[in-house]
Amino acid sequence: MSKSNTDIQIPEAIPELERGPVWLRQRRQSSRQSYNSTPIPQRGLHLWRYTDPQRFVVDRGDASDTVYDENYDRIRQVELKHLESGHLSALVTDLGGREIEFYGIEKLGERGVAVMPVSEAVEKHHDLVERYLYELVSSSVGKFEAMNGALWNDGIFIYVPDGVTVDRPIHLIRELGRTDSVQFPRLLVVVGKNAELTLVDEYGGGAFGTQAGTSYSNGAVEIFGLEGSRTRYVTLQRQSAATTSYLTHRAGIERGASMLTLALAFGGAVTKQNFGVVLNGPGAESKIYGLLFGAGHQHFDNHTLHHHSSGQTRSDIDFKVVLRDRAISAYTGLIRIDPHAKSCEAYQENRNLLLNKGCRAETIPELEILNEDVTCTHGATLGPIDPLMVHYLQSRGIEHREAVRMIVAGFVSDTLRQVPADLRDRISEVVNQRLEHL
Amino acid sequence: MSHRTTLFELKDIHVEVEDKEVVKGVSLKVKAGEVHAIMGPNGSGKSSLSNALMGHPGYEITSGEAYLQGHSILEMPPDERSRAGLFLAFQYPLAVPGVTVANFLRAALKAHRGPEADMSDFRRLLKREMAALSIDPSFATRYLNDGFSGGEKKRVEILQMSVLNPKMALLDETDSGLDIDALKTVSGGINRFHNADNGILLVTHYQRLLNYVQPDFVHVMLGGRLVKSGGPELALKLEENGYDWVEQETGLTAEV
Repeated sequence: MSKSNTDIQIPEAIPELERGPVWLRQRRQSSRQSYNSTPIPQRGLHLWRYTDPQRFVVDRGDASDTVYDENYDRIRQVELKHLESGHLSALVTDLGGREIEFYGIEKLGERGVAVMPVSEAVEKHHDLVERYLYELVSSSVGKFEAMNGALWNDGIFIYVPDGVTVDRPIHLIRELGRTDSVQFPRLLVVVGKNAELTLVDEYGGGAFGTQAGTSYSNGAVEIFGLEGSRTRYVTLQRQSAATTSYLTHRAGIERGASMLTLALAFGGAVTKQNFGVVLNGPGAESKIYGLLFGAGHQHFDNHTLHHHSSGQTRSDIDFKVVLRDRAISAYTGLIRIDPHAKSCEAYQENRNLLLNKGCRAETIPELEILNEDVTCTHGATLGPIDPLMVHYLQSRGIEHREAVRMIVAGFVSDTLRQVPADLRDRISEVVNQRLEHL
Repeated sequence: MSHRTTLFELKDIHVEVEDKEVVKGVSLKVKAGEVHAIMGPNGSGKSSLSNALMGHPGYEITSGEAYLQGHSILEMPPDERSRAGLFLAFQYPLAVPGVTVANFLRAALKAHRGPEADMSDFRRLLKREMAALSIDPSFATRYLNDGFSGGEKKRVEILQMSVLNPKMALLDETDSGLDIDALKTVSGGINRFHNADNGILLVTHYQRLLNYVQPDFVHVMLGGRLVKSGGPELALKLEENGYDWVEQETGLTAEV
């Protein structure tokens, strides 16, 4: 499918660009134009120092004869059981934006909660979609955001009306095919005033093998937390070891709203993810937890952004990285506090645990603090497990291997505590698998 | 006590740290039921000896032999030494973030008892031993040594000893950093642990712990060697007169 290494243009007359009402087709076209006229970012430029931008240039792909991994069906069944037993409010399966299935949405619908394809939402929730879609993730962010903006098939729309609490998670599975696999997932979420939502957004599938670029995913997520809302957004990257993956997430939260973002990543060959929360009103609070565990030749490049556009806002980032074998991680964390945004608090920590020689981590804190009235700290650590910590556990009779497992489990435990119940077993399983044969 | 069997024996132990010899031939026999104390000024090699015996990666035993209940332990990795019945209460216990005291001790006890062992008594055991050491029950769910005061860390070391119930306990400067109440609690824990079947080796700079835990033998360590041995009265003499007279008597200096 993919023909990398050249700047592939998106043609003008393709079906994706014809989807939706006039305003949407116009935005798709302008995304296409922006994509075509924006040069591929130069290697070495800001945010591209660690990952080759060429890897994300692909043909739009072809959906014919798509085959899905057996694991997809297993996970789907597990989550359907969680839905049945009441651990989930709803389950959505999204196959490349071409086939989107919804389970358990009727009950939510009775309370005015909308979980539907964007193609349906453009009619039923026209005002919200027109107002918010492309508001935070569009060609103004970059070339690959423009690419998604032009080429997404259909997306998922979630709306929680003012004052409504969705107390169990809504779970989305975006599955990439094993063959002919290119996808441009898109998600738009609006959480109304004083409403509450937990959302799990899981990215899986992709081609077999280990050669990067055999399958490709480029996702866009936009979340709006209105005044006093409380949102938990969990994303899980478990795509195959042959998948090149790109994801841009932006959330905007208003006065008194809180947003918890939990970014978990275990999959993919080359994964570039960008998580950002803009704090737009006093009292808004954002916490981002990140956890990635890389093995083999996996390559991760993560960015986080906390943008304080209003005073009296608070942000906190705890981004943890565990690497083994020859895996690579680069983390760039930007805190931006606007000139008029007084009395803000912002914290950022990035800790990297390297389980053997040969893996590599970079950490780049960036601060753009444009007024004096702030409390801000940032910190980073990078290194192997402390051999004396292992010795301490061993001196109590615990075998070396188990000591290492316990220390890594301890390192990630505060983060895993944030994982919703339906996912916890699956995440622990992955963490334990990653610790085998060290 | 001479009829008792030898529990722990060191034969001419030499230890190097970063290619420097810090223990220069230590031999010692501890019989079941005995408490020994090694006293010495800073830098005399006493902590190096106990760390090396537990298998600390920074200390290399370059020659000598060590036996616990007749089994040679120096070829064993630290976890095997522990399961064979050796215990070291560390002078500076490390924090292990994310691993709670209870989970840590459960894993350690399970390692000692074997994977199939019944652990249903664990909670009760832990609760009892924590109460005996005046450790607040909330510490069970706190991360091991994470944010603990010096005194709390020492208590938790003794808690680990009580739960694992080793044959031979090396206590490295367990009294340092303790106020008088904590010292009483900790020494109470040591005395409760001690019985006719196990042995204790106290490594200490000061005599004050020995007011609470009565040693059968006191050894003076200077320059990496045990240069003088005696009964409890030797500790009192050191407390009164310092180490200078031993240096003069033996012609050795404290520093390795």
